[in-house]
Amino acid sequence: MKRILFIHGAELLVLVLLACIPIAVKNPFVLGLLTLLAIYGILLIGLDVTVGYLGQINLAQAAFLGLGAYTAGLMVTHFGLGMISSLFASLLAGLAFGALLAFPALRLEGPQFALATLSFSALVTIGLNEWESVTNGAQGLQLVRPTLFGLELAAQGFYWLCIVLLVFVWIAMNNLLSSQWGRTFEALRDSPIATDAMGVGTFRHKVAAFALGSGLGGLAGGLYAFNFQYLQPQSFVYELMVILLLGVVLGGRKSLWGALVGATLIVLLPNLLSNRFLFQVFSIIGFVIALVAGGRSYIQKTTKPFQAGAPVVAMGMLVIVAIFFPNIEDLRRAIFALMLFSVVVGLPEGVMGFAARFLSKLFHIAPAPLAVPVPLHTVLPIRDPDGSPLLELRQLKRHFGGVRAVDGVSMLVQTGHIHGLIGPNGSGKSTLVNVVSGLYKPSGGTMLLRGRALPHGSLFRAAQAGISRTFQNLQIFSELTALENVMVAMKGVYRKSLPFVLFGLSHKEERYAQSCALALLEMVGLREEARITARDLPYGAQRFLEIARALARRPDLLILDEPAAGLAHPDVTKLIEIIRDIHRIGITTILIEHHMEVVSELCDVVTVLDGGLVIAEGRPVDVKRHPKVIAAYLGANA
Amino acid sequence: MTTSIVPQLIVSGAMMGLIYALVAYGFQLTYATSRSINFGQGELVMVSAFFSLTLTKLGLPYWLMIPGGLLFGVVLGLFVERAAVRLALEQKSEGWVLLTIIMGLFFFSAAENIWGRDDQPFPTPITSDALHVLGISITPLEISVAVGVFTIMGLIELFKRTTLLGKAFEAVSVDRDAAELMGISTTHTVMLSYGLSGLSAAVAGILVSPITTVGPTMASVLVLKAFSVAVVAGLDSGFGVVLVGLFLGSLESLTSYYVGSGWREAPGLVLLILALAVRPTGVFGKAVIRKV
Repeated sequence: MKRILFIHGAELLVLVLLACIPIAVKNPFVLGLLTLLAIYGILLIGLDVTVGYLGQINLAQAAFLGLGAYTAGLMVTHFGLGMISSLFASLLAGLAFGALLAFPALRLEGPQFALATLSFSALVTIGLNEWESVTNGAQGLQLVRPTLFGLELAAQGFYWLCIVLLVFVWIAMNNLLSSQWGRTFEALRDSPIATDAMGVGTFRHKVAAFALGSGLGGLAGGLYAFNFQYLQPQSFVYELMVILLLGVVLGGRKSLWGALVGATLIVLLPNLLSNRFLFQVFSIIGFVIALVAGGRSYIQKTTKPFQAGAPVVAMGMLVIVAIFFPNIEDLRRAIFALMLFSVVVGLPEGVMGFAARFLSKLFHIAPAPLAVPVPLHTVLPIRDPDGSPLLELRQLKRHFGGVRAVDGVSMLVQTGHIHGLIGPNGSGKSTLVNVVSGLYKPSGGTMLLRGRALPHGSLFRAAQAGISRTFQNLQIFSELTALENVMVAMKGVYRKSLPFVLFGLSHKEERYAQSCALALLEMVGLREEARITARDLPYGAQRFLEIARALARRPDLLILDEPAAGLAHPDVTKLIEIIRDIHRIGITTILIEHHMEVVSELCDVVTVLDGGLVIAEGRPVDVKRHPKVIAAYLGANA
Repeated sequence: MTTSIVPQLIVSGAMMGLIYALVAYGFQLTYATSRSINFGQGELVMVSAFFSLTLTKLGLPYWLMIPGGLLFGVVLGLFVERAAVRLALEQKSEGWVLLTIIMGLFFFSAAENIWGRDDQPFPTPITSDALHVLGISITPLEISVAVGVFTIMGLIELFKRTTLLGKAFEAVSVDRDAAELMGISTTHTVMLSYGLSGLSAAVAGILVSPITTVGPTMASVLVLKAFSVAVVAGLDSGFGVVLVGLFLGSLESLTSYYVGSGWREAPGLVLLILALAVRPTGVFGKAVIRKV
C-alpha cells in the first residue's frame, strides 16, 4: 500500500505541477521549455525501449523524430489534415519505418545493430535534404499549427495537449513494460537462444519493441513539428542522437522516470551552455560530486582505479573549460562528450537507478507482495503414461563440414520414461539434442513427435511443438529475477492482445502467471529466492531455475542437458529428487548425463552414443555391462 | 569523351574506395582481437591528418612528416583503447559503442577549436598532373593512394603472419580464452590492435588529405562509408574490404554523376542495410555456428 501510494503519489504530484506551472508563471520562455520537456519525454521513453530493455545501442531515434516531424508537416501542408490525424500519421510513420528497419536489424547484435541504425539515420538525413520537391530540402519546411477539432491552440493549449499525450504514453508504456512484453524484451537481451527455446518468439517481440520505440519517436516528431512550425533536415542529425543517448543514460535506463529526468537535462542543456556563470557553477558541482563518489569507491575499492578516476578527470576538464574558455558554445560537442563520458563510466545506472535504490532504502518501501502459489497440479496436471512412442528418430544425421557429429541415430523415447543419453565426450549427445530441439538443422533423417514430423532448425517452432530444454552452459535471463525467469516461459497464461495490455487490462492474468510460476519455483525449492536476480543466485540454484523455467512450458518432452554438471553433492541429491517429481507427474524426459549414479538411479532406458552412432541401448544395468560401452569408455582393449 | 566517362568515373571512384577499405581495415584489426570497433575511427583519421599538416607547417619535409603523423595515430589509437574500450570489455558490456562515439565527439570538438572549422589544403610533393592511360586520366596522387593503401595493409598482414607478436595477434583473434591460457596477454594484444588501427587511420588521413583537403567534417563522411565496406565485406576478411571498397567507391562516383552529388552517400548505406539483412556476417565473412 505504502509503495503504491508513494509511486503514484509522486507521479500525480509531478503531473499536477507540470500542468499548473503555465497558469502560475506567464512566461513564454518557460512554457517553451516545458513543451519541449514533454516532447523529449515521449521521445526518450521510446528510445529507452531499445536502449534499456532490448539492450541495443540505437542511433536512429533522432531520425525517427525527423521522420515523424516531416510526416506531420506534410500532412498539414499538403493534405490539410487536422492535429489529431496528423499526429496519428506521425505515429504510424514511426511504427512503419521502425518495423521496416527492424527486419534487417533484427538478426543483428551489438555493433552491427548500432551500425544499421546509424546508416538508417544518415540515409534519412540525405533523403530529407535531397528530396526537395517534397521536403523543401535544406531551405526548410514552414507549416502552421493545425486546429484541434476546430479549436485554435495557442502555446498554452498546445502544451497541455503535449502533457496529455505524455501521460497517455507513460501509462501505456508502464503497463506494457511491466507485462509479459517487457519481460520478454529483457529476456531477449540476456539470451536470445533461451528466449527462442522457451517458445516466446524473439522475432515478433524484437520487431514490436523496436517499432514501438520508433513509433513514439514519430509521435514526438509530430509534436516537435507543431511546436516549432519550421523544420530543417539539419535538426535531426548525429549530434541530436548523441544528446538523446546522453539523456537516456544519465536519466537511467529501464525507467520512465529516467526518461523524464533525461528529457529535463536535454531541455536545460542549451540554456546552461548559453549562460557562462551558470555553467561554471554546475560544472563545479559536477566535479565535486564526481570527486566524492569516485574517492569513496576508490577507498572502498568497489571499483577499479580507472573507473573511479576517469570521471573525475573528465569533470575536471569540464571545469577548466568552464573557467578558462570565454566562448563555451564553440566547445559544445566536447562538453557533451565529457559529460556523457563521466556518466557512462561513473554512473552507469543513471540518476534514477541510483535514486530508486536510495529512496526505497530511505523510506523502507517494501516491494509489492507476491501472489499465493497455486497447487502444482494446476500448472502441471498429472499425466497417465500409456507407454506409447513419443519421440522417434530415424537415421538422424548432423554433419559440420567433414565432422560427422551425429551420423545416423535411430532411437525411440516412450511416453512417461526418463530416457538416458550417455556417451564419452564428443560422442554427439549434445549435437543430437540440439538437432531435436531445433538449434541445428539435421543433415538427414526424420524426427517424429507423436508420429508427426518435428520442425527443422527452429528452436521456437520446436518449442511450440512441445519440446522444452535446459542448457549445458546455462542460458538464464541473468538480469531478471528468478520469478520473472519462470514467468517469461509460462505457457498458456497470456491471452490478452497488445491493446489490452497497453490499457492495463491484463492485470489478472499477470497475477495468475505469478501464482503458477511460484508453484514451479516451490517445486525446485527456490520459492524463497523468487525475488533474487538470477545472476546473483548460486550456481546450483541457477541450474534448478532452468529446470523450473523449462517446466513452465508444460512440455510433452523435457530435455535436460547435463543438469548435474558442476553440481556439489547435496545439490545432486536434490536434482535427483526434482527429476523424480517430474517423472511422477508423467512428463517424458531425455536426460543427458555423465554421472553414472544419476543415470542408473533414474533412467528407464539408456541409449549410449559413440562417434555419432548408437552403440547400445537398454536398461541401465544391462547397458553398463555391454562390452562396446565398456570399450568406448575405457578404451578398445579394456 | 562521352564513351570514356564511365571507366573514368569508375577508376577515380575506386581510388577513393581504397581509402574506405583502409579505414574499414582498421575496424577489422580491432574487431579481430576484441569484437569491438572504434566508432570514432573517422575522427582519428581527421585528427592525424591535422597533426601531420601542423608538422608540415612547422617546416618538416613530407617524408619526415609521415613517421610523425603515423606515430601520432598509434598514440591516439592506444588512448581510445585505454579510455573507452578496455573498461567496457572488462565488464563484458556493449558500453564501448557509446564510449568510442564519445571519444569521436571529443576529438571532433578539439580539432574544431585547435585547427578551426575550415577545410585546409594539404601540401604534397606528389604531383596531381594527370597522366593519360587508355583514355582515362589518372593522377600520380591517386596512384600514391593505391600504393600507400596496399603497402600498409601488406606490411600489417606480413607482420601478423611472420612475427611472433603477430602470431599472438592471430591466436587471440581465433580464441581469446585459449590464447590467454597459452600465456598470451589479451589486454596487450587488444592494445596492439588498437595501435595498429590508429596507424592505419593515420595513413588513410595522410593519403586522402591532399585530394579532399583537411577539415573537421571529413571524418563523418569517410567513416560511414568505411562502416559500409567493413560490414558488407564481413568484419573478418581483409581481402574482402579491398574488393568491396573498390566496388563501393566506383558505385558512389557513378551515383553522384548520374543521380546527383547529394545522393552519393546513399548507395553505401543501402548496401550496408541490405547486406546486414541478407548476410549479417558479410559477403566474405564466415558463418558462425551457434553453440550452447
